[in-house]
Amino acid sequence: MEDVGLAAATHDVSLWALFMQAGIIVKLVMLGLMGASVWTWAIVIDKYVSFGKARRQFDQFEQVFWSGQSLEELYRTLAERQNTGLSAIFVAAMREWKKSFERGARSPIGLQMRIDRAMDVTMARESETFEGRLGSLATIGSAAPFIGLFGTVVGIMTSFQAIAGSKSTNLAVVAPGIAEALLATAIGLVAAIPAVIAYNKFSADAGKLSARMEGFADEFSGILSRQIDEKLQPRQAAQ
Amino acid sequence: MKGSLGTSLVLHTVALGFALVSLGTPASFDVADVEALPVDIIPVESITQIQQGDKKAPLAETAAPVPTTKPNIVQDAENAGDNEVDLKAPPTPVQRPIETEVAAAPEKTDNPLPNPTTETNTIKEIVPEETAPKPTEVAALPETKPEIAPEPTPEPTPEPAPEAAVAEELPLPDTIPVPAARPRPEPPKEQAKPAEKPAEKKPETPKAAEKPSDKKVADKKQETAKSTSSKDSDFNADEIAALLNKQEASGGGAKRSTETAALGGKKTTSGSSLSQSEMDALRGQIQNNWSIIAGIEGADGVIITVSMKLDETGAIIGRPEVTATGGSDTARRTLEGSALRAVMRSAPFKNLPVEKYDAWSEVVVNFDPSEML
Repeated sequence: MEDVGLAAATHDVSLWALFMQAGIIVKLVMLGLMGASVWTWAIVIDKYVSFGKARRQFDQFEQVFWSGQSLEELYRTLAERQNTGLSAIFVAAMREWKKSFERGARSPIGLQMRIDRAMDVTMARESETFEGRLGSLATIGSAAPFIGLFGTVVGIMTSFQAIAGSKSTNLAVVAPGIAEALLATAIGLVAAIPAVIAYNKFSADAGKLSARMEGFADEFSGILSRQIDEKLQPRQAAQ
Repeated sequence: MKGSLGTSLVLHTVALGFALVSLGTPASFDVADVEALPVDIIPVESITQIQQGDKKAPLAETAAPVPTTKPNIVQDAENAGDNEVDLKAPPTPVQRPIETEVAAAPEKTDNPLPNPTTETNTIKEIVPEETAPKPTEVAALPETKPEIAPEPTPEPTPEPAPEAAVAEELPLPDTIPVPAARPRPEPPKEQAKPAEKPAEKKPETPKAAEKPSDKKVADKKQETAKSTSSKDSDFNADEIAALLNKQEASGGGAKRSTETAALGGKKTTSGSSLSQSEMDALRGQIQNNWSIIAGIEGADGVIITVSMKLDETGAIIGRPEVTATGGSDTARRTLEGSALRAVMRSAPFKNLPVEKYDAWSEVVVNFDPSEML
C-alpha cells in the first residue's frame, strides 16, 4: 500500500487511475457506495413510477365510485381483478358485507366492526407497499457520508504511510493519495444526497396517499353503516 | 423493481462513463519559472542613524561636512563651521554684510562728486553738531560756567563760530571738484585747537587755581572730541549699520573639517536608544540611593515605574513621575515615596552619553523592589 502513494507521484491522476491506485479497503468502500447509489436510484425510479400509478388509480376509482354506479355491480367487476389501493379497500369491505348478509348476521354493530377491521387490514397492507424501501433510502442517506469518510480516513492513513516510507513531504508524493482518499467521500456524498432528498419526498407522498386511503375508508364505512341501519331496521320492526 | 434497478444501473454506468471521459486527468499546474528574489535583512539603524555631512553633497563612503578654512580652536566641537564659538545655529552667509559695506561706502564718495549742494547741507549739519570743539568747550563750560562763566564763553564761541561760518561759507562758493571729506576734518581740527587754546589759556589761572581735575577731564574730553572729530568726517548716520555689519557673521559651529563634503545630516545621530549597559548604569545609580525598607507587607509583585525628563546635564526637569502597580495599597505608597526620594537623590545623572541625549531626554525606568531586597 505504501507503494501506491509513491507510484501516484509519477502516474496519472484521472478518476479511473485514482480508483485503481486505491487500497483494497478504499476500493471496497467505493464499490459499496457505488452499489448504494445504484440501489438508491433504483428505488427512486421505482417509487416515482409506482406512486404516479397509484395516484392515477385512486383518481380513477374515486371517479367510478362517486358516479352513482351500484356498489354491487362495482364489486362484481372489481372482485375478479388483482386490486390495489382504494379498490382493494373497497373490495375487502364489500366482501365482508356480503359474507355477513349471506349468513344472516344479527348484530349491526358487529357487522360494522368487522367491515372496519377488514378495511384497516387492507389499508395497512397497501401503505406498507407504499412505504416499503423508503427505510433503505433513509439509511443510505444518513450512512453513506460516514462510509465515504471512513474510506477517506483509511486513504489518508495510507498516504501518510507513503510519506513515512518515502521520507519526503513533497506535495507530489502526498497529493495523489489524498485525492484518492477524498474520492471515497465524494462517492459517499453522491450516493447520500439524492437518497436524502428522495426519502423526504417519497415519505411525504406515501403519507398523502395513506391519508387519502383513510379518508376513503371512513367515508365508505359511513355509507355502509347507513346501509346496515336501513337493512336491519325493517327486520327488527317486523319482529 | 427489477426494471427500475436496471434503469438505475444503466444511468450509473452512463454517468460514470461520462465522468471518466470528461473528468480525465486534470490539467497539471504549470508553475512559471520565477527568479528567486534575494532578500536582505537590513538593520534599521542604518536608516535612522545619520552621520554629519552636507545635505547637498554627493554620497560618499564616509559622510563629511563642508570643509572649513580656519584652524581648529574649540575642542570637541559638535557643529561644523568656521565660528570661534560652537553654535547650533546654521552659519549666516558672509556675503551680505560685505554688500552693505560696499553699498555704504560709495554713498559718501559718490555724493560729493555729483551733488555739491547736498554736500554743503550735510556739512552744515555736521559742523554745528560735531565740530567737537563746541561740545568739548561746552562740556568744559558747564563745569566752569558757574565759576567763570562770563569770561570763557563769549570768547570761544564767537571765534569758532565765525571761522566755522567762514569755513562753511567758503567751500560753498569754492569749487565743486574739491572733495568734501578732506577739507572737513582739517578745518575742525584747526578750529578746535584754537578754540581749546583760548579756552585753556584764558581760564588757566582760575581753573588751575580751582580744579586741576577739571583740566584733565576737559583734556580727556578734548582728546575724545579730537578723536571723534577726526572720525567725524567718516561718520554718517547710515554708516552705523555698516559698521555693525563689519563684524564677522555669527552662527555655525566651531568643528573644523578638512575632507570634501559628502552627503550627511546636520549632526551625527547615534542609535536612538540607550544601550543595555547605559540603562543599567542609570538604574544602578537610582538603586544605590534607594533604601528599601525590608519586610513591607504586600510588597510582592509591586512594580515601580519612574518616568522623568532630563536636561543635557543629566539633571531632572520638573518632578519625576512615579507610579506603582500590584501589591497592597500601603506597600505601593511607601515604595512610591522611597522611589521618588531615590531618584531625586541620584540626580544629576552624569554617566549618560551626551550624543544620545535624544534617547534619554525622557527616561522611563522600571523597578521590581522584591529583586532589590
